[in-house]
Amino acid sequence: MSWTDFFIILITCGVLMLACRVLPLLFLKGRELPDHVAKALGFIPPAAFAALVANDLFSAQTFTFSSSALLIPLLAAIPVFIVAWLSKSLAWSVVVGVAAFALLTLATPLFSTTL
Amino acid sequence: MKPSRNAVRESFSAALPIMLGYVAIGIPCGILSASVGMNAAQVFLLCALFYSGAGQFMIPNMWITATPIASIAASVALVNTRQMLYSASLSQFCQKAKKRLSFLFAATVTDESYGINMQKFEQAGADGGGWSVGRATLVNLFSQSSWTLASVVGVLIGNALSIPLAIASFAMTSIFICLLCMQKITPENVVAVLAAVVGVVACKLVGLSGPAILIGAVVGVLGAIIVMWIREKREARA
Repeated sequence: MSWTDFFIILITCGVLMLACRVLPLLFLKGRELPDHVAKALGFIPPAAFAALVANDLFSAQTFTFSSSALLIPLLAAIPVFIVAWLSKSLAWSVVVGVAAFALLTLATPLFSTTL
Repeated sequence: MKPSRNAVRESFSAALPIMLGYVAIGIPCGILSASVGMNAAQVFLLCALFYSGAGQFMIPNMWITATPIASIAASVALVNTRQMLYSASLSQFCQKAKKRLSFLFAATVTDESYGINMQKFEQAGADGGGWSVGRATLVNLFSQSSWTLASVVGVLIGNALSIPLAIASFAMTSIFICLLCMQKITPENVVAVLAAVVGVVACKLVGLSGPAILIGAVVGVLGAIIVMWIREKREARA
């Protein structure tokens, strides 16, 4: 990748990213938030984490049941949910998740590496 | 203000699970970047100034398929618009912090560090202190250092080492699952979770994979607001 192309990508993506990260915080900072707004902001974490998890576990093809590999993330998530629920430990969740995913991957010869 | 050694240690142990996860993802990200012809300096600059796991995977993936730069930028921005939600929700903890520190804190937030810091801020609220914007910023910077180091190492290693990408990225999924399990169980939160999952799956089924996370999260928040509104009406009537 040439430095010119690289800088165009870095600057456009970087500026958009910085704006998304910084502007809402600086704009809302120092204002007394109305009770309702504060409550609504509290709904962001559960909604965002659920969306991130669902995004990782489901693909558009999941419901076609075309390949058993599509079920690997869903199956690997089960022990993670149990361990996370009981231990509330990020480290244990990661260990269990990666181990379960790796074992299921080995056990599923149909698995193809797609991101 | 110089952070005390204790604060640094506390931030480091809070950041450690993220740092390990970032090593697992950063190395493949560096390998991927190298494979489309980026050098270590370019990857370092992306990590330092752009700092987005999803974004840094998307850029090489789209670059290799000759996607126009404008549409690379648009797709990356769309995936990262959820950062606006994080930024808005973190502002409540920055009321007393200095502007420069708040800027640095906001500029270095990621999905994972947002989750950890949110947890810490909420716990601190419950037992009256113990977490600050300074410590939260340290968590962010530790995480970013780990990401940067791992990505640059990934470039240097090139394709010599191969960790299957899918396995590495499930480390991140596990972190999100754990953060999800740490949420309080209230009727609003349950609806937020269910609506977000339905929103994401619906987006994927109609082919909107890029904005699925953002749309799902917004649907979840709106669902929870509706439930809050209904419950308040009912209480007012009772």
